[in-house]
Amino acid sequence: MSEFEPNIVAFLCNWCSYAGADLAGTSRIEYPPNVKAIRVMCSGRINPMFIVNALQEGADGVLIGGCHPGDCHYSQGNYYARRKFQIMRKILEYLGIDPARVRMSWVSASEGQKFADVISEVIGDVKKIGPAKNINRI
Amino acid sequence: MRKDRIGKLVQILSRNTLYAPVERDGVTTFEKVEKVEDIKFDYQNSDVPPKNVLFPQTETTFKYTLGKDQKIEVPKENGKNIILGIRPCDARSFSILDKVFEKDFLDIYYSEKRENTTLIGLSCNEPGINCFCTSLDGGVGNKEGLDMLLTALEDEYFVEVATDKGKAIIENSPDLFSDASDEHAKKKDEINKRAESLMKRRISVEGIEEKLDKIFDDDLWNEVSMKCIGCSVCTYLCPTCHCFDIQDEATLREGRRIRVWDSCSNPEYTLQASGYNPRPARINRVRNRIYHKYEYYPKNFKVIACVGCGRCIDKCSVNMDIVEVLSRVKEI
Amino acid sequence: MADLAKMRNEIKKIVQRDDVKYVIGYEKGTYGWRVSPSFARTPEEVDKFIFSPLCVNNLAVYLVLEEKLPLPKGVEEEKKKIGIVVTGCDSRSVVQLLQEKAISRDDVVILGVPCSGVVEPKKMKEMFGKEIGTVAIEDKGEKYVIVIDGKRREVLKEELVSENCKTCEYQNPVISDILIGDEIKEKKKESYSKVRELEEKSTQERWDYWKEKFERCIRCYACRNCCPVCNCKECMAEKTTPVWIRRSVSLSENAGFHIMRSLHTAGRCIGCGSCERVCPMNIPLSKLYKKVEKDVIELFDYRAGLDEEEKPLLSVYSVDDSNEYIL
Repeated sequence: MSEFEPNIVAFLCNWCSYAGADLAGTSRIEYPPNVKAIRVMCSGRINPMFIVNALQEGADGVLIGGCHPGDCHYSQGNYYARRKFQIMRKILEYLGIDPARVRMSWVSASEGQKFADVISEVIGDVKKIGPAKNINRI
Repeated sequence: MRKDRIGKLVQILSRNTLYAPVERDGVTTFEKVEKVEDIKFDYQNSDVPPKNVLFPQTETTFKYTLGKDQKIEVPKENGKNIILGIRPCDARSFSILDKVFEKDFLDIYYSEKRENTTLIGLSCNEPGINCFCTSLDGGVGNKEGLDMLLTALEDEYFVEVATDKGKAIIENSPDLFSDASDEHAKKKDEINKRAESLMKRRISVEGIEEKLDKIFDDDLWNEVSMKCIGCSVCTYLCPTCHCFDIQDEATLREGRRIRVWDSCSNPEYTLQASGYNPRPARINRVRNRIYHKYEYYPKNFKVIACVGCGRCIDKCSVNMDIVEVLSRVKEI
Repeated sequence: MADLAKMRNEIKKIVQRDDVKYVIGYEKGTYGWRVSPSFARTPEEVDKFIFSPLCVNNLAVYLVLEEKLPLPKGVEEEKKKIGIVVTGCDSRSVVQLLQEKAISRDDVVILGVPCSGVVEPKKMKEMFGKEIGTVAIEDKGEKYVIVIDGKRREVLKEELVSENCKTCEYQNPVISDILIGDEIKEKKKESYSKVRELEEKSTQERWDYWKEKFERCIRCYACRNCCPVCNCKECMAEKTTPVWIRRSVSLSENAGFHIMRSLHTAGRCIGCGSCERVCPMNIPLSKLYKKVEKDVIELFDYRAGLDEEEKPLLSVYSVDDSNEYIL
């Protein structure tokens, strides 16, 4: 039986984590291909319902990538995102959605290797817990 | 029929899709059952009316997939349904709903289910505190809409057959049923009379149509609607409320069209694309709901669209009381 | 509890003021133990007002429910105040609304009443569901004295009182223009025991628990509508461009709706328990909302509805916010 290949949706902020992902690509760093990247201008723009909708549409995991605290291109976006993420994560964990599915990470534009490591870690964790069936729409 | 034979009857009936009252966490709803142990017979009335069986809250009218293997699928309704333990008021609500789903244009989703469903009623030995079915042409022994009615006597159920579908059940398992004597019939009449006398709420609805016609702009509606918070509990839990919305749920490659319950207490119900809303305030919507049930529906179909089950009074969190409103209407 | 005559007197004085439109309070319901919100415009209508442990509704919701319809040309908006009777928890709702600028301090006249707990309607229905005559309740400390049709009964308070009230930390109104009744000296402590019980279970057990509850939801939105803090003119649940929560009723959409609402009220919910009270399907919403309240206190040391001047939770941040679980 073929191994379960998770579907991860990554919301990456344009200035840091998307650029970091881009750098990982141009540097030819290998990382698992199960990620679908969605570029947003800032991690603060991310509505926590994006995470819920992604899980509903079949994502097995969601990653939010932002700039390091203090380095947000828009000064405070990532701080707000951090607050929203903490609350959202705790709600999802309490309702029984495995916390390993919803992750956040700070990746700057020069950290291509870190981006690849983060992706590998998230995918490894989600592989262990299997596909997300809780709030799947189908 | 002896009460201890009900298990056998359930077994036979569950060869079809059998719906019966089931309690979870204090809430009684009509769900599919297979074993008699799951059924709750000593309930006053279910919290969610069994209209869900014939008029589901979410119903797929068709599914489609695009692309090379493009196709449209219409879900097939096959198999017979039986609803066991429905109260006479809820069964009567189906005969009221029939009128609107058959007017001008037959609603195939509802009527197919209606034809394939047999209703076995259970008469009320004790009315609920908010029941007022007797004021609206109903009654604890009313067989309108039912195929068969059971009345619980001491050790037995008094079985009355109302239609051919009901007869078929008896013919299917004749060993479970035996002839009733005159004494049984007398006991049943006594139980029914006692139950109806215990009903505390009474309202005369004579001339309500004409009265409502005249008092559309009265200040009463202002007073009455101020405390409504505009949730949809009364409409969703009403056996005769039947408003629905049609939505398309689609992703790139596939989708489905669904019919969902809607509620006139939502402001979005009448919100037009231009942004104009003909019923912008709660007074408009509360007044509309009462008028629809007690004036517009009787004008169109000659029957009041309320069966007196009292669920709206029970479940309303701010104590909106339709019986009280009607008695104030009569006083004007 | 408050002296009824004194309360009615104070409210009559408010109603007679020129700058007050009406006062929102409680009146006897139409049957049994029910109590209904009441709107008094004249002193005569104030005579209907009551106050007892049966007054369970959170009246602050009416401050934001009033529709502001477009007026004809030349007609000015009536700038009058609304008086409102609030208990401890409801007053926090009013403060939260002031914090978010949904209403302004000049719009309300707040009559605070210290509260020693209200009943749980579901328990009342079990015990007194068959009584159509008026049920009156008096709070006598450890016991409730219940009078129906002249007959007295005594019930232990803890059998009838709402679970929420057993651990209420704010029995005295946190804001009021007029205080009616004596301040309550007793201090209770919220221990979040029910939340901890559920936290201790495994992830799969928690999901099984909530799955069963959410499958029952009929999306009547009673929880949303009775909540004073849920006052968006267009709720995200009803938006069609884009669709966040579909109209269909299924486990996925119901769970999505409840996650969405608990998130939108994070740091704004003051724990009045109205949502759980009005739910026709007995979904234990207070377990979810108390959990969010607990998290907000632990993570950000923030309590909703206490200070008018404080900034709302998600409109501020701290550089030292927790970095827990962030890679």
